[in-house]
Amino acid sequence: MVLAGERVLAVPGPLGELLPGGAVQRGTVVAVDGDPGAGATSVALQLAAAATAAGEWAAAIELDASLGGLAAGETGVALERFAVVRRVPPARWAAVTAALLDGISVVLAEVPAYARVGDTRRLLARARERGAVLVAMGPWPAEAALRLRADGSVWRGLDPGAGVLAERDQRVHVDGRGAAARDHVALVEAG
Amino acid sequence: MAERTACLWCPDWPVVALRARDPALCDAAVAVVARGERGLVVIAASTEAAAEGVTSGLRRREAEARCPGLAVAEADPQVEARAFERVARAVETFTPRFVLEEPGRISFPTRGPSRYFGGDTAMAIRCLDAVHHIGITDARIGVADGGFAAKLAARVAEPGAAYVVPPGESPGFLAPWPVAVLEDPEPGEAAELADLLVRLGLPTLGAFAALPDGAVLGRFGSAGARAHRLARGDDEATAPPGPPPPELIETAELDPPAVHVETAAFAAKALAERVMARLGALGLACTRVMIEAETERGERLTRCWRHEGALTPAALAARVRWQLEGWLTADAGGADADVGSVDELATSGLVLLRLVPDEVLPATGRQLGFWGGDPAAADRAARVLARVQGMLGHPAVVTAVPQGGRTPGERVRWVPWGDPREPARPLEAVAAPGANIREIPPWPGAIPAPAPARVFDPPPPAELLDAAGEVVTVSGRGDPSAPPARLRCAALPDRGGEIAAWAGPWAHDARWWDRRARARRAYWQVLVAAPDGERVACLVAVTAGHAALEAIYD
Repeated sequence: MVLAGERVLAVPGPLGELLPGGAVQRGTVVAVDGDPGAGATSVALQLAAAATAAGEWAAAIELDASLGGLAAGETGVALERFAVVRRVPPARWAAVTAALLDGISVVLAEVPAYARVGDTRRLLARARERGAVLVAMGPWPAEAALRLRADGSVWRGLDPGAGVLAERDQRVHVDGRGAAARDHVALVEAG
Repeated sequence: MAERTACLWCPDWPVVALRARDPALCDAAVAVVARGERGLVVIAASTEAAAEGVTSGLRRREAEARCPGLAVAEADPQVEARAFERVARAVETFTPRFVLEEPGRISFPTRGPSRYFGGDTAMAIRCLDAVHHIGITDARIGVADGGFAAKLAARVAEPGAAYVVPPGESPGFLAPWPVAVLEDPEPGEAAELADLLVRLGLPTLGAFAALPDGAVLGRFGSAGARAHRLARGDDEATAPPGPPPPELIETAELDPPAVHVETAAFAAKALAERVMARLGALGLACTRVMIEAETERGERLTRCWRHEGALTPAALAARVRWQLEGWLTADAGGADADVGSVDELATSGLVLLRLVPDEVLPATGRQLGFWGGDPAAADRAARVLARVQGMLGHPAVVTAVPQGGRTPGERVRWVPWGDPREPARPLEAVAAPGANIREIPPWPGAIPAPAPARVFDPPPPAELLDAAGEVVTVSGRGDPSAPPARLRCAALPDRGGEIAAWAGPWAHDARWWDRRARARRAYWQVLVAAPDGERVACLVAVTAGHAALEAIYD
């Protein structure tokens, strides 16, 4: 018997309001994409924060080493339960991602530019088998239960020569089952 | 002052247990191996094998090469624990307050028995006699202040004899020992600590003990402070058992009564997990547990087990299982029923099992079930992260630790997974004692929140231009040559664009104390126009006229 709460991971905060049922399905892939600066990383970090808020573990896989640890903490990720694998060689990317899906609830994986479709299918199957959420950051060539596209933000607080960045309204486009009607809803994030 | 403690040690207990089960091995050279990181390694060897050069830590193949005809057996902790139950019963005739540390080692406070028998030495000789009577000839006893010193005293005692460290002389007795004795039976943090101390030029416990308390706590954390207390002979571990906190006790009723070890062990495993989950939720760790059982006929059986360092759910379940073997397996009583109390063997099925965490400490190091998290999930996560570290190297998996600093990159320290999560710089230059992390103000001059989600290392080069297309420079006094109008960088959409808003420059002396690495750096926060009317927020650093894209608020 599986309880309903065990099949989904509730996402608190404004991002959850955009998602069907306020949650992501365990055992699925959530593809997150967006131009640099449009806010894709912040969206992915909110999914990691959802895992650690539920007392579970999250991890991130990076091809370089640019994830902001401070931003992760500010987003609400419990840093002691958030591991980051940095500078993963693209050749070992699939193996590392598969290993993490074995024991970690939410895995944020930066997808290499030329990821093999076969690898991505295998990861999809692994996530389903283990009940983990794979958050694919970047172009994801296989199917995904949810696709989130960061469409940019409006920043407040910074003027020519004055102020500092303080608040952002972020727009996220949600595409997936149960979310077809939603489009471009503002995600407010106070600094 | 640590409590006066005796430690009874049967060296190479796995060999003794093996011979008790299989008498044909009594005169043969025997070695017991266990699977470790390096494959099968010897953990115990008989005297005949030791004479041929077989020592602990040797790999199986090397051991067989040194001693042809060596009988090799794999370690079986259950058999060892079951065989040790006889020794436990012999010791029980002297004192009810003994604590099993592992199969082969028992410790107990000596105050009562020594007064009764007329001194530590007399008591120890009586105790050894009783153990000798059940056929264990090379047991030895160490008596000292505190369990740690007693354990080491047992190591220097002659076979079948006692070594008594006079009261108050434990620190002097401990001083010449190498720091490696601080290691846990399961190597972990303490092994690293011992290694580090040797490299710091502190090879002995005495040298380590001479360090001031505060400095040890500051440099090595709570695990180091605990080791330091042990090295000083100030052993908190054998505190007298007080009444256990009642809310931590977990009980399981067995219906139908459990006659077989397997049935009881199955219930015990769930019980052990419940106890550990309860402790984890309270932020506590357990180092000593009382295992109690009741039988159909109303007998009550009790045993106390202790573990160096905090018990894990698996370690606790193993100890409960060992104890059940001792109670429920008839051959543990065997021929020595005349020694010790027969009633310690269950004569009927068990109807009740109870686990009483007897000695609890605040969990400081490995806090697994934090926030009610599932301890099994923590174990799984630890296992897969260790596997990835095996694939890519230890430093490839990191965790962020907030620390003091001004820029987003400086304010996080990336620590390899599994290393202590300690900041390299304090969060605040002058931290108030006991201050809540949320109340600590950032360093003066720190770039305010929100923090950028992408921080580049190394930062890609960029060009910060003014309206006339000239590079914007910042003078030594922190004044810009002109307001910035354009940012160009390959990492931005469309390779950059017009600057819609900006703040700065914030001048920042990087590493001003270091003559070679010092640099004056100026930071700008800018909003850059992107295609479709979007804006990208970035942090730009200018060092010696060269701009670089430090971070993007992604």
